[in-house]
Amino acid sequence: MSAAIATRNKDVASFRARLFTAIMIIVATLTALGFYLAQRRVTADAERNLQQTFQTELSSTRKIEELRHAALADRCNTLVAKPRIHAAIEDDAIDLLYPTAKDELRDLMQGEEPPPEQAARSLHARFYRFLDDTGAVIKPPSPSDVGKLDAATEAQLSLKKLPNTQQIGYIQSAGDIHEVIAVPIFSTDTGDLVSALVIGFKPLELEKKSTGMQSGVWVDGRLHLPALAPSAQNSLNDKITPALTDSDSQQNYFRVEVAGAPQLLFHKRLNPGSLFPPAYEIFLYPLASWTAQLNRLRWQIGGAGALLLLGGFVASHFVARSMSAPVKKLALDSEENRAERERAEAALASTAEELERSTRYSADASHQLKSPMTVLRIGLESLLGREGFKPQVYEELSTLLHQTRRLTGVIDDLLLLSRMDAGHLQIASTPVNLSQLVDEWLDDLGALPESPDVKIEKEFPHGLFVAGEKRYTSLIVQNLLENARKYNRAGGRIRVNARGNGKKVVLTIGNTGRTIPPGENIFERFHHSSSPSAASGHGIGLNLARELTRLHGGELRLVRSEKDWTEFEVRFSAANGVNAVT
Amino acid sequence: MRRQGLLWLSAALSLVPASLFGGAAVEGHVDLPKSRSAPIQAKRYEIVTKAGVLSTLPPLAVVYLDGNFPRPASLPTKEVAQRDLTFIPVLLPIEVGTKVQFPNLDDQYHNIFSYSPAKRFDLGRYRPDERPIPSVTFDKAGLVTLRCDIHEHMRGLILVLNTPYFVMTDTAGRFRLDKLPAGRYTLKSWIDSRTTREKSIELKDGQTLHVDLP
Repeated sequence: MSAAIATRNKDVASFRARLFTAIMIIVATLTALGFYLAQRRVTADAERNLQQTFQTELSSTRKIEELRHAALADRCNTLVAKPRIHAAIEDDAIDLLYPTAKDELRDLMQGEEPPPEQAARSLHARFYRFLDDTGAVIKPPSPSDVGKLDAATEAQLSLKKLPNTQQIGYIQSAGDIHEVIAVPIFSTDTGDLVSALVIGFKPLELEKKSTGMQSGVWVDGRLHLPALAPSAQNSLNDKITPALTDSDSQQNYFRVEVAGAPQLLFHKRLNPGSLFPPAYEIFLYPLASWTAQLNRLRWQIGGAGALLLLGGFVASHFVARSMSAPVKKLALDSEENRAERERAEAALASTAEELERSTRYSADASHQLKSPMTVLRIGLESLLGREGFKPQVYEELSTLLHQTRRLTGVIDDLLLLSRMDAGHLQIASTPVNLSQLVDEWLDDLGALPESPDVKIEKEFPHGLFVAGEKRYTSLIVQNLLENARKYNRAGGRIRVNARGNGKKVVLTIGNTGRTIPPGENIFERFHHSSSPSAASGHGIGLNLARELTRLHGGELRLVRSEKDWTEFEVRFSAANGVNAVT
Repeated sequence: MRRQGLLWLSAALSLVPASLFGGAAVEGHVDLPKSRSAPIQAKRYEIVTKAGVLSTLPPLAVVYLDGNFPRPASLPTKEVAQRDLTFIPVLLPIEVGTKVQFPNLDDQYHNIFSYSPAKRFDLGRYRPDERPIPSVTFDKAGLVTLRCDIHEHMRGLILVLNTPYFVMTDTAGRFRLDKLPAGRYTLKSWIDSRTTREKSIELKDGQTLHVDLP
């Protein structure tokens, strides 16, 4: 027993440990998940913010550039509408193009280069060149008027063909970078593309709202980022050139190390679809402060996670304990319950076995008894038919025959009961005229030889039909009426009452005489009255009647038994559609 | 009435043998390009440009006899006027060395200039009452595109030829050249700034040759 308790305690402890572990795992997982999500969120937010900053600054610059481009396109349209420019291009007088354009474009070249903050409103150009119909640069007669360029730089202005639309390009020369815009020139007469004007500008610089940002331009394999030292520029160029030449994406960002410091590098194609070599705006954002912020945040989240873990530890301990307590109780209870249930099951099994055995036995016994009883009865009847015995012998024989008949009835009843117990009894339900049945049995009752002097009162309508098999219904009525007569007193009465009650028919049989003491189970099989009485009975009649009633879907019960009056009530099922409700 | 009279006269002259006037004659027909939108009354001509090719509308051709002819001592002065913001005539064939006056018949400024390789000139801005009338002597053969610096759409053509023998066709493409010297020549027809057709011919005194330039 103590070993069982020890096992049980061990089980409960292991359950508590498992519960605790599960809670701890959940808390730890949630903390880790929260940590991971928060960090990812912070990283994503920071990167998105930086990208937005980049986009905003880029787009504000882009707007200024668009204005500049629109203004230039306008200028070129005006320019080409000038008859002299037209004449120079169309009348094979290219040599007159620059001298003619010189006056028209004079303002572009005049004055000094404006400071960066005014660059947006200025159309100050560094140089311009015209392209001939093959896209090659037309050499200016006097380069000083149109901005001097070395041969290599000037060659970069040529295009494979004349562009239909404005083209933006970036070219490098001698450590500087120029933004160039090629504007197509269409003949006003024919609408044909006859030339292009390429104008070079100082590139617009991004406004650096955030500190530490650095911007530059990558063009054709070379990076121009003056804020960086040449060596850093070169190493960065080596890193980004593959990314920019390989990727098809117009814009993206990635992390780079510049001079040992982590930086976020954004890039965006400046001239998508241009005939000029691809150029990218490069935007460097140092991650030092951002990394520090992220680290701080990591510590905060980590601390919070640790606290959560600790809290979870304590809470789960208590929770595990409080949760395991009812489990412990449950374990105890269930053990007791199980033992009890096992006992009950064993008892039930033996009872069922016993019952089966007794049923089988009574059936066997009845069958075995029936044949000798028949032989006995026939023998007695034939003896009674003979002549020459003394009158006492006839009397004895008559009594024996009566007892034999009684015994045959008892055996029949037992056989019926055992069939019922075995579940072999089937009922062929038909409408049975209960009124007629009761009348017949009452007539028989009066004809019985040893019937005491009783008065019979009856009150029931004619033609009251119940559902059932006639012989069993008859047996029920017979049993009850015989009991009413048998247990009556001299000068007493029997009252039979029957009425239809919807789906039921209620038959009440009452009689005067000895009452049944409360607590006595008269419906028990082989019941014998505790009080001595002259009345005889074998003790299965009521039991049989009740079983039969139940088999018919009805009920038999003792309604009352007091003050010289005992009354039984039988509820039959009414035969469908035969009875009128009374 | 007068126009009809001229027609009669020319018809009568054509019946007279060319030998009466001395020299040979060529007459014929030039296949002109189909006019895209031939005006019902071809009173005004204009220069149109299609794919960089200048031509007249409705189409006209200049037929001329190419050859080495002695330069005359003096040539009559010709005139291209500006009226209603157009050049009149819109196409003028002249012999090399001819002086052309550009009178302004509008009541506003014009600035006639040319960047053409055959003749570059710029007359500057001038008013209708400008005297002397601005003029240019064309001393090199070729096609000269006339433009106005003030009126961007104005176009005129002067075809400077090395020959005194030239004539403009009518709108149907018919032409006739008279008083031509006998000999072997090339007959050319200028259709537009890029198209010139030619045919070798042999002219005999007193003979009228019929030549069609397809």
